[in-house]
Amino acid sequence: MSELLNENIHIEKTSLFDFHNQMNAKLVPFGGYYLPINYTPGIIAEHNHTRSSASIFDVSHMGQIEISGPFVMEAMEKILPISFSKISPGKVKYTQFLNKEGKIIDDLMIHRTSNENTVWLVVNAACKEKDINHLRENLNKKFDINIRDDLSLIALQGPKSESALLKLAPGILGMEFMSSAWVNFQNYKILISRCGYTGEDGFEISIPNKYVLSFTQKLLENSDVKLAGLGARDSLRLEAGLCLYGHDINLKISPIEAGLKWSICKERISSADFIGGNSIKHECSKGPSKRLLGFLPKGRAPAREGTLIYDAGENLIGEVTSGGFSPTLSIPISMGYIDSSLIDEKEVFLNVRGKKIPAEIVKLPFVPHNYFKKVN
Amino acid sequence: MTDIYYTKDHEWIKVDGGEGLVGITSYASEQLGDIVFVELPQKGISFDQGKDVAVIESVKAASEIYSPASGEIIETNSSLEENPEIINDDPLVAGWLYKIKIINKEELKNLMNEEEYNKLIGV
Repeated sequence: MSELLNENIHIEKTSLFDFHNQMNAKLVPFGGYYLPINYTPGIIAEHNHTRSSASIFDVSHMGQIEISGPFVMEAMEKILPISFSKISPGKVKYTQFLNKEGKIIDDLMIHRTSNENTVWLVVNAACKEKDINHLRENLNKKFDINIRDDLSLIALQGPKSESALLKLAPGILGMEFMSSAWVNFQNYKILISRCGYTGEDGFEISIPNKYVLSFTQKLLENSDVKLAGLGARDSLRLEAGLCLYGHDINLKISPIEAGLKWSICKERISSADFIGGNSIKHECSKGPSKRLLGFLPKGRAPAREGTLIYDAGENLIGEVTSGGFSPTLSIPISMGYIDSSLIDEKEVFLNVRGKKIPAEIVKLPFVPHNYFKKVN
Repeated sequence: MTDIYYTKDHEWIKVDGGEGLVGITSYASEQLGDIVFVELPQKGISFDQGKDVAVIESVKAASEIYSPASGEIIETNSSLEENPEIINDDPLVAGWLYKIKIINKEELKNLMNEEEYNKLIGV
């Protein structure tokens, strides 16, 4: 067996670090933080529990950034391909920071708050510094960029998330998917957003560092709620066909190639008045050169990131960017890019350790999303 | 009389006469987590000691298995094809990987006994 890697770089601890240890978490460095890859039940059990009940994930490594100043929304629209006129106060939108070439610097959630002078961002841990630099370069100095590392972030995900959170925060009943609100809890405030990255209904909750442990423990008093680690988070988001930065999307990939055109405001593609706008407009008119697709390899061998994809004529046509085993479907699943002219191929071949494994091309997601829909 | 030896890479070999049964240790199985796929060698193929002979894939990653002894593969555990999780459930008995015809028993001196192995993993 190969040795497990031990990296000797400076790694931060989240406020739940000691708690994770007490709960027998296997901690690994991820995005510059020690985070649980799994707890005692293991990745598959944690994955299945999330799909059937509710799980808590410590995602405090993610960057929570508050940007304030007069006309901050107008300023952010010059950077991001979104329109605040279509995002009501209290709503959350998935978007990407793009460079001038229209490639992805990071993907993020942006909240339009009830205060018109403030927007709230949640960005990837490993991209925090890059994102801040991008913001400083492109935002007028009059805007205040506040990295809220006084706040932890936990994700409560799964179909029983609402019933579990209701017991602590009754105000969330019927809260719309992709919306957020500050809620009073005991003597402090928490920011609750109905969103997540597992394909399930759920919430992300920003909590002051000193209260995150007691809040997490209160949620865990409910027997429907268990802890889950990054391992399950990865298999859940892969089944849901959601891109992971640094794997499925990066500085060489555009949102059009990644199938994220839905997240870009249509009118702004034609006006092209955001960073990377001209490249995106051009790419939309001629079509992307490659596309992110799903693959189902025959047999049981997972085809992981880096696996090369061939056509029937043994021509190299692409590469897997995320792949593994789907606990929900009990089969291996992979996502990756292939040349756009070949997306109608029925079958491709994945080179796993020298063996060409046939694989069916499928549309994403592998497992249907189960997001909350408000019934009126 | 069966002797059991261990490698620093967390494989075990149970030696019975000229044959050895190979698997991974409980420690390895716990470290790997849920095992979802096993690629076993073909019968009749020979491997040198320390050469990669099989692959075990957990949900997290693929790990190479290095042969604890040189010899020819004479049997593989076909029940792992459909139920690789047997390794997690019972790594030392039902979760065996393959049987090898040992060609040089002297090589076993390169391996650890149980006491030495337990010391390695800090038990």
